Amino acid sequence: MNATAPVLEVSSLYAGYGRYDVVRDLNLHVAEGEAVALLGPNGAGKTTVLRAIMGLVKQRRGSIRIGGQELVRLPTHRIARGHAALVPEGRRLFLNQSVEDNLLLGAIHLRRDRRRVRELLDSVYDLFPLLRDVRGRSASALSGGQQQVVAIGRMLMSDPRVLLLDEPSLGLAPKAIDGVAAALDELRRRGRSLLLVEQRVDLALRVCDRVSVLAGGEIALEARAADVRAEERSLINAYLG
Amino acid sequence: MLQVVLSGLAIGAIYGLVGMGFAIAFYVTRVINFAEGQLLMVGVMIAAAIARGGANPVLAVAGGIAAAGAAGVVTYLVAVKPVLAFDRFSFAWLVSTLGVALILQNVAAIIWGPTSRSFPTLLNGTGVHIGSATLTVQELLTIGVAVAMAAAFELVRKRTLFGKAGMAVAYDPEMASALGVDTGTMAIVAFAGAGIFAGVAGVLIGPITYSNPYLGNTYGIAGFVALMIGGTERPVGAMVGGLILGILEEAAKSLINTQASDWFPFVVVVAILLLMPEGVFSIGGRIRSLAGLRRSAGEAVS
Amino acid sequence: MRADVLSALRTGEAGAAGRRWALRWREPALVAALGVYLWFTYYVAHGTLYLQGLVLVAAVFAILAVSLDLVAGMAGLYSLGHAGLFALGAYGTTILYNDHHWNLFALLPASMVGVGLVGLVLGSLSLRVSGLYFAITTFIFTLVVTVLASDLKITGGYGGLIGPVFPGFPAGLHWLGQSLIWCGMLALLVAILISLGLRRSPLYPVLLAIRDAERFAAAAGARTALLKIGLFGVSAAMAGAAGWVFTFQGFISPGQFDWTVSVNILVMVILGGLNTTIGPVLGAAFVSMFPAQVNMNPFWQEVLFGGLFVGVIIVYPGGFVGLLENAGRWLVRSRSPAAPPAAAPSSPAGEPAPVRVAALESAALEGAERTRPPAVTPARSAAAGPPAVECRGVVFAYTRGVPVVNGVDLVVRKGSIHGLIGPNGSGKTTLVDLIAGRLKPLAGTIAVDGRQLERGGPPARARNGFMRTFQAPVLVRELSVGENVGVGLYSRVPRITPRAPVWPVLPGARRDGRRIREQANDALRLVGAERWRSSRIANVPHGIQQLTQLAAACVAGPSTVILDEPLAGLSPTEVEHVAEILGELKGTGMSVILIEHQPRFVFALCDEVTVLDAGEVVATGPAAEVRANARVREVYLGQ
Repeated sequence: MNATAPVLEVSSLYAGYGRYDVVRDLNLHVAEGEAVALLGPNGAGKTTVLRAIMGLVKQRRGSIRIGGQELVRLPTHRIARGHAALVPEGRRLFLNQSVEDNLLLGAIHLRRDRRRVRELLDSVYDLFPLLRDVRGRSASALSGGQQQVVAIGRMLMSDPRVLLLDEPSLGLAPKAIDGVAAALDELRRRGRSLLLVEQRVDLALRVCDRVSVLAGGEIALEARAADVRAEERSLINAYLG
Repeated sequence: MLQVVLSGLAIGAIYGLVGMGFAIAFYVTRVINFAEGQLLMVGVMIAAAIARGGANPVLAVAGGIAAAGAAGVVTYLVAVKPVLAFDRFSFAWLVSTLGVALILQNVAAIIWGPTSRSFPTLLNGTGVHIGSATLTVQELLTIGVAVAMAAAFELVRKRTLFGKAGMAVAYDPEMASALGVDTGTMAIVAFAGAGIFAGVAGVLIGPITYSNPYLGNTYGIAGFVALMIGGTERPVGAMVGGLILGILEEAAKSLINTQASDWFPFVVVVAILLLMPEGVFSIGGRIRSLAGLRRSAGEAVS
Repeated sequence: MRADVLSALRTGEAGAAGRRWALRWREPALVAALGVYLWFTYYVAHGTLYLQGLVLVAAVFAILAVSLDLVAGMAGLYSLGHAGLFALGAYGTTILYNDHHWNLFALLPASMVGVGLVGLVLGSLSLRVSGLYFAITTFIFTLVVTVLASDLKITGGYGGLIGPVFPGFPAGLHWLGQSLIWCGMLALLVAILISLGLRRSPLYPVLLAIRDAERFAAAAGARTALLKIGLFGVSAAMAGAAGWVFTFQGFISPGQFDWTVSVNILVMVILGGLNTTIGPVLGAAFVSMFPAQVNMNPFWQEVLFGGLFVGVIIVYPGGFVGLLENAGRWLVRSRSPAAPPAAAPSSPAGEPAPVRVAALESAALEGAERTRPPAVTPARSAAAGPPAVECRGVVFAYTRGVPVVNGVDLVVRKGSIHGLIGPNGSGKTTLVDLIAGRLKPLAGTIAVDGRQLERGGPPARARNGFMRTFQAPVLVRELSVGENVGVGLYSRVPRITPRAPVWPVLPGARRDGRRIREQANDALRLVGAERWRSSRIANVPHGIQQLTQLAAACVAGPSTVILDEPLAGLSPTEVEHVAEILGELKGTGMSVILIEHQPRFVFALCDEVTVLDAGEVVATGPAAEVRANARVREVYLGQ
């Protein structure tokens, strides 16, 4: 692991929706070019962590830094302008607009720099050639797996330093999951930094360098994926039984 | 018959403009602005006041429209934004926008008195013959402007990136902000638009109604009915709703009696709402929700 | 002790005595308020004609506001039709009296019943359209009524009609003053008491559940549609009564009932305080009397009026009542959030939170387990009889084409714990919704306790001893833990709905109310959350919400229970605790279907396990067998 400062650094994060915080005193970090998986049972707070980074959880305190910039006081739309981008659970595409429009909306904060938007769009089409074929179609006409690819493309269009994905495999058939895994692999190869919330341990281990297990609002286990793959039983025992 | 349709379109255009004002604000913020009719009134009163001060009528009209737009923004900042910040689902905006309506109406009555006063006429009342019917130049202008504005709005909404961002905010405001869209600015623009549409309607109807602080009530309710007919799916629907309402009114007046224009349109509206509670343009949305494609993002499928 | 509590719950008897609500101190305050009210009525009944006119109109609008608050505040139905209902009451009374010479006092119940029936129809529209569109539909109703009133001859057109004269008091009661004032104020008092009665009855949490957490209410046995419509009927009857009173102030004309009046009534409710007993009365008093009281230029007065609307609602979204609550909590029924218990929030049993595990990283790698698996109750052989749940060939799809549940067979033996596991998206919750009656299968059969309950949905299931919980807790946030658990008893309280409006005065009702509280406490003690009983759900950690759901499902002593991820979001200590409870439930003969993601608990607790993937059954059978099944490892771990 290189010794540079982490691109995403979360320190002492408390976040929640009511009187009690769902996430308590959370610390995690992602190094530049690293992919980290956040695993854990439902309700543990994984989605809350991603939403807190994006500023979608109003009640949050602590420190969230991306590239050294403190985000905890910023409103969501500023965080989305180049710091982080999210593929939310269920994708949440704008189903009343076309595939290309969905992608272009991802780069809305770059709209003045037409050339850069064009470049980003082309790079997304290169990464996912299938999108080029369906660019004019309404997003509602695509299958779940295809929509997931559009959502990833939309995330890439904002050219963020950190990519956040919330359960990209949810509700997808195994073949579509393979497609998503391949896409994430490619992003890794291109040196992107990823924080991935997942339920499927196999997908997480395939794509990520490190895994953290979140339970009851706190990190319960951190390990390198390579170690876990080699010593499968330990993770399985600690997390799955 | 043609006369009924054309005269109906002329008055319906006004209703449609006000209806679109309601619709634009609702589209972005999910709030019904009870002061929308008063925004029309602001347009009329300011234009009349500027004209009385001796300025060029064109300047007066422009000033009136701008004032209405500004009043829309102020309404948002004072009566809507603070309420939404507290709780997106409460109906408190009903009380606060109604309060703004009362304030606007009575301040106008204080400044200019409660009775009607003059309004500059840009165009004379010469009639234009179309087939067997006659319309004044003013009425033709009204229809033209209304249709042009509705078309322009729809073009901006569907064809420009800004418009698409607006569609995104209407569809899923949280996701839109997670992509970098400033929903607060969008809301301000929406309310400015709501004011401008109402202001345009005001300066178009001014020559007929003269300037009067209580205009907001009549045209506000008519605009609201136009919104209901057209549905809240797309703001342009309110323009169509307004035109339909105008035609229904004229038809009732000529086919039944002058009083029928009070109740006949409402009977039709009731019928429409019983069949299609979300307005005539809701059919697309109906099909989509039947297809189960609108599931709340929070529910995991398990 | 616990087994006793459980069997007591099953047989419906009160268990060990819980704590009583300390409401005694409220009663003297109410009596005092009643005294002031009657004194005020007496004072006005002897006052000037001007004052009487003002107060009478204010009282009529207060009745309307209270009636609207019933549906808007308690049921979330924002109606703009109440002016129309008001008009029907007023015009109906006047026409039947003037033209057909009906007895004046007979017209009161007649008006209430007649307008109440119209209200039932209007209320049933709320099933087709919701929220804004319901408001629009009721708005149109008012418009239609106004227009008819303006244009029909029988209603006197725009000029209106002259109303009947209210008879004065007989000789012996002259000292009371103007009888009409007493009439209006007593009518208002009745309306307030009905509202108060409903709010104090066990039906109130159920109504709020219908408003905020409909699935929970339905699963507890409430026929939500009927209750909503019924409530609207009661509200309409009240509006009809207001119309009756209104006729006596002189004359009625269409202009007094138009849509602006509907909006004004809603403003009164929101400004006064939505979903409070006294808020609508305060709002009505303010809106109807303010314009007459302030002596200034009428335009400036309106500006001030409008400014107050904006100012009050922005600073105090809870309206006048919110303002009063902030100033001092004494006039109204308030809910102060209980201080959290002294123990660490994450563990109801009071044990310290688990050690943070960066340090345990290496320990985990060496295979040490982080927490012990729960104590295992030895599996019992299941009782004989029809299976608790039997599914054969069940198929379901939300959209055309992709089935979410694809030909599932599932047999849950009575008295067993049956685990249902599978990755997210495998169709588990959908299958549960099908078994619970929320969804209807496209093909196949589902039998609960040997019966196929085709119609009736979740409420029918609840009445037959079947309860369920939801993946993300579905509860009423503004009510306390104890009140939410009480909702679970809905199907067990005799005649809860008809008795609700007069609940506080019925002796049997008070005893029943006490019993409900006691049983709720017992259920909370069973799950170990009793110290949270008075805390609002909104202020309670996720783990306690899960326990509340569990308690609400068990409190009525069901024979079959489905628990959808009851361990989600719980800390390891809480998980152990729940696992213990589940073991005890099994010991009482309850059949439990358990959906869970943590396989080690599932395999330790369950007798049998079914594994679902992509809507199909991958494996089913005794827990040990399924655990060893290679395909199961594949499905979960993707090997």
